[in-house]
Amino acid sequence: MKHFRNIFLVAMISLLALSSCLTAVTEEPMQDVVEEVNLLIWDQFYRPEESAVIDILNREFEASHPGVKIEREVKVLDDLKLTVKLALSEADGPDVSQVNQGRSDMGELVKADLLLPLNDYSTKFEWATVFSTSVASRNSFTPDGKTFGQGNLYGVSPTAEVVGVFYNKGIFADNDWTVPTTFEEFETLLAEIKAADVTPISFGSLDGWNAIHEYSAIQHLLVSQDYINDLTYGVNNVSFDTAENRDAAQILVDWAEAGYFTEGFAGIGYDDSNNNFKAGEGAMTITGSWFAPELMTGTDQEFGFFLLPGFSGKPTMAIGGVGVPYSIRKTTENPDLAAEYLNWMISPRAAELWAVAGMLPAMSLPEESDVKVETDNLFGDTLFAWETINKNNAVGHYIDWATPTFYDTLVAELQKLLGGVSTPADFTAAVEVDYAKFLSEQGE
Amino acid sequence: MKPQTHRRPGESRWKGYLYLIPAFAVYLFFTLIPILETVRSSFYDWGALGKSNTWVGLENYLSLLNDSTFLKAFSNNLVFIIFYSFIPILLGLFLASLLGRFPIPGFTFFRTVLFLPQVISMVVVGVIWRWMFHPTTGPVNLFLGAIGLERLQQAWLGSFKWALPAVGSVGSWVQYGFCMVLFLAGMQRISEEYYEASSLDGANGLQQFFFITIPELKSEIGVALITTIIAALRVFDLVYATTRGGPGESTLVTGFLIYRTAILNNEIGYGAAVATVLTIVILSLSLLIRRLMTESTDEEA
Amino acid sequence: MTLQSRNLIPRYLVVLLFMLIVLIPIWGALMSAFKSNTEIASSPFSLPQTWTLDNFREAWTVGKFSIFFKNSVIVTTIVVIASVFLSTLSGYAFGQLPLPGKAILFPLMLVGYMVPFEAVVIPLYNWMGLLGLRNTYWALILPQIGLSVSFGTLWMSTFFENAPRELVDAATIDGCNRWQTLWQILWPLARPATTTLIVLIFMWTWNEFLLALVMVQTEAMRTLPVGLAFFQGKYTSNLSLMAAGAIIVALPTVLIYIIFQRFFIRGMLGGAIKG
Repeated sequence: MKHFRNIFLVAMISLLALSSCLTAVTEEPMQDVVEEVNLLIWDQFYRPEESAVIDILNREFEASHPGVKIEREVKVLDDLKLTVKLALSEADGPDVSQVNQGRSDMGELVKADLLLPLNDYSTKFEWATVFSTSVASRNSFTPDGKTFGQGNLYGVSPTAEVVGVFYNKGIFADNDWTVPTTFEEFETLLAEIKAADVTPISFGSLDGWNAIHEYSAIQHLLVSQDYINDLTYGVNNVSFDTAENRDAAQILVDWAEAGYFTEGFAGIGYDDSNNNFKAGEGAMTITGSWFAPELMTGTDQEFGFFLLPGFSGKPTMAIGGVGVPYSIRKTTENPDLAAEYLNWMISPRAAELWAVAGMLPAMSLPEESDVKVETDNLFGDTLFAWETINKNNAVGHYIDWATPTFYDTLVAELQKLLGGVSTPADFTAAVEVDYAKFLSEQGE
Repeated sequence: MKPQTHRRPGESRWKGYLYLIPAFAVYLFFTLIPILETVRSSFYDWGALGKSNTWVGLENYLSLLNDSTFLKAFSNNLVFIIFYSFIPILLGLFLASLLGRFPIPGFTFFRTVLFLPQVISMVVVGVIWRWMFHPTTGPVNLFLGAIGLERLQQAWLGSFKWALPAVGSVGSWVQYGFCMVLFLAGMQRISEEYYEASSLDGANGLQQFFFITIPELKSEIGVALITTIIAALRVFDLVYATTRGGPGESTLVTGFLIYRTAILNNEIGYGAAVATVLTIVILSLSLLIRRLMTESTDEEA
Repeated sequence: MTLQSRNLIPRYLVVLLFMLIVLIPIWGALMSAFKSNTEIASSPFSLPQTWTLDNFREAWTVGKFSIFFKNSVIVTTIVVIASVFLSTLSGYAFGQLPLPGKAILFPLMLVGYMVPFEAVVIPLYNWMGLLGLRNTYWALILPQIGLSVSFGTLWMSTFFENAPRELVDAATIDGCNRWQTLWQILWPLARPATTTLIVLIFMWTWNEFLLALVMVQTEAMRTLPVGLAFFQGKYTSNLSLMAAGAIIVALPTVLIYIIFQRFFIRGMLGGAIKG
């Protein structure tokens, strides 16, 4: 049996050697001082303008909390959506992470009991004075994760978003085009721009998701706010297969057929298309206010923003709401500290830093401050739009939150619609299949 | 294949296991058991993170049959077989016949370059071709424009008609050099006498190709079929890095569907059913082609 | 013969064409990595007007490719060493040693060589917490070894089956035990087979994507291909930066391929035949 021992020894030694060198690599560094606390934060503010804001806020948080060290990991949204589910169930997962709203992300995490309910902290820090109920409901679920829009609060959003139209002021001025005030005027303008041999709407649908915004922006002008609420929160048994949704799809198809979108838009990515727009190609682009910070630096073009105007005589409702919220891992060892961090991310200080960077804050700006927030610019335009829809109670929803698979379904079906392989009626019918399936499972 | 597994005097008949077990243990725990577990979970309605699971029997498989998304993904894999397998094998045979019998200057260099795409990460390949296919700045459209074929310019990866062939032809791009090298290696085995004898009989180059080269390369062609068809069924990285299955579902493949269903959308049981089907198809296809190859070799012998 | 020489030029041109088809995209990426974005747009394939390493520098630091590179090196090194060592032992078992039940074991090992990672990734993803592997190198290493030893065992067993009988017999007469026969007599002869196995497992591990995508969650643990995929999400329109990243990922396998070309090609062809 000597050979056995030989082999066994070699095997054991090599395994030991392997494992010891691996442990050495993966082990967390020992904490020297007892008082020192590391707070691991995941966020998706990866664009340089956004990232800089978070870095400042983190530094200031560390300064006001001696002994606290923030470890930050920045991810693109895709990456975050993929990894956060597993990471939050781990003891060394992030203490605080941004978690995308809606059923497929936050809903699943609540269902798996991985997020800390924030109700107590909300009372303690008086978050009700910061956010309206309608904003809070976007980050709320019942504890079983089934009902969206009510129950516990699971996240707070530092930024606000409104989807509308960015336009190139230079191109508009050169051609004497003005900002339209009704949808009819908007369509006339599209035709005029096209006739002038300029791309009316810079657009790229290769990545898929932004087509949801192009479509839904139009949809929001045709449907009622109650409908959008019911659809998003899965209540009152509404259907997706409606005349309004078909009409919106028809308008989108008409625009594509009329050549109002960038040529070859189907093969262009979102960032690509945005870069072209920033470089002065295309008169307008329809996307969210989060694009503003990028347009305010590193370009010699000047841009403005307006809400996609409503049909004459009808109110204007726009897709909007609050950005991806911060949540706390249920099993974190430092829930109080994590909550303080959340509170700091939605503080007036955060609001002013976001505003200076050109990003809409979800909270009000401080009344007194040394920091001067310019509003006579693109940021001012988006702020005005955001205030308008809030004042008019016309804040809509991202419809892809509605079911766990709605995002995939909408992306695929909209690409079919825009690619001319399906009709508006096919589109709404196909999406309704997903929605009805969800409602029936929900009812079980 | 005469294994030298004679026992030495006094040696335990289980001796081999001492040497086999370390490798087999890792293989068992991280490959075999997970495969079985995939099959097992495919019989469950299995929610996220192991929270809710109920036995549903064959329900996942039955819904697969009516799931247009799955059927689309699977049929896209079949289309990929044309691009990953048939086209590269034809091109490989063609190139091998040009290079094979009479070496031309620079032969080794050609072989090195043509084989190169095989060793590059498919993510890198995807990144490169996403750029090549870009509608406005991509070299493919620029080239078409430069030679006056503007009307052929497309939004390649975003077009319902062209995305699948475009991604597929990247597969051909990766595989044809491999097939060629495989066939070249096989042709070295073919005795020159066959060709000389047939020349005397008045056969031309084309006839020699069809009646000597191809039959003699039968086993290499079989090998090429197995490897490239498996590659076509397993496509994931390339689709991830170029189209993510879009536009619509026009480039959606089974591998990506498994990832999307099980990992992103938490439908573990359903994703496992898709994975099981894919595994079964791959296993049975490889076994089938192997069987066909052995049979044809046996016939010759 | 005359017929063939007459055809030399057309044959040459056709082969050259197909070589260019392979080379042009790679060449374009290589050149782009050394240029500015504006230059790529105007002339994608020309040599850079001024060569710059800025793209590589930015990818390496800002893009965190230094971290991904380190992770790829760690994972690949361990997988290669462990797989080759374990496969040598198990290949020896199949090729030379008494092994009851071989008729069942052999096809069982073959399964691992044919199944895709898709077949194992779902349970592994779910079990990571149970196995204590979540977000560690082990989560990438162990499954990769599992699949690699499957091919490795088959590959090495072919070598051991065909090892010269006389040598083994002579060694036995000289009093070598099985362990000594393996390492002192056969292992030196196995150098070509081992080299081939090393370069193949190196390439497969270095390029592996799906497992690396789902098994680790933080940037600090990612390997190069996954790093590149998410890098593409952040910098889609920055072509020169993307190109630099792509070159960093591809360069090691391409270099190893060029150096060990013979072994690579033999392995891929031989490996394919085994499949």
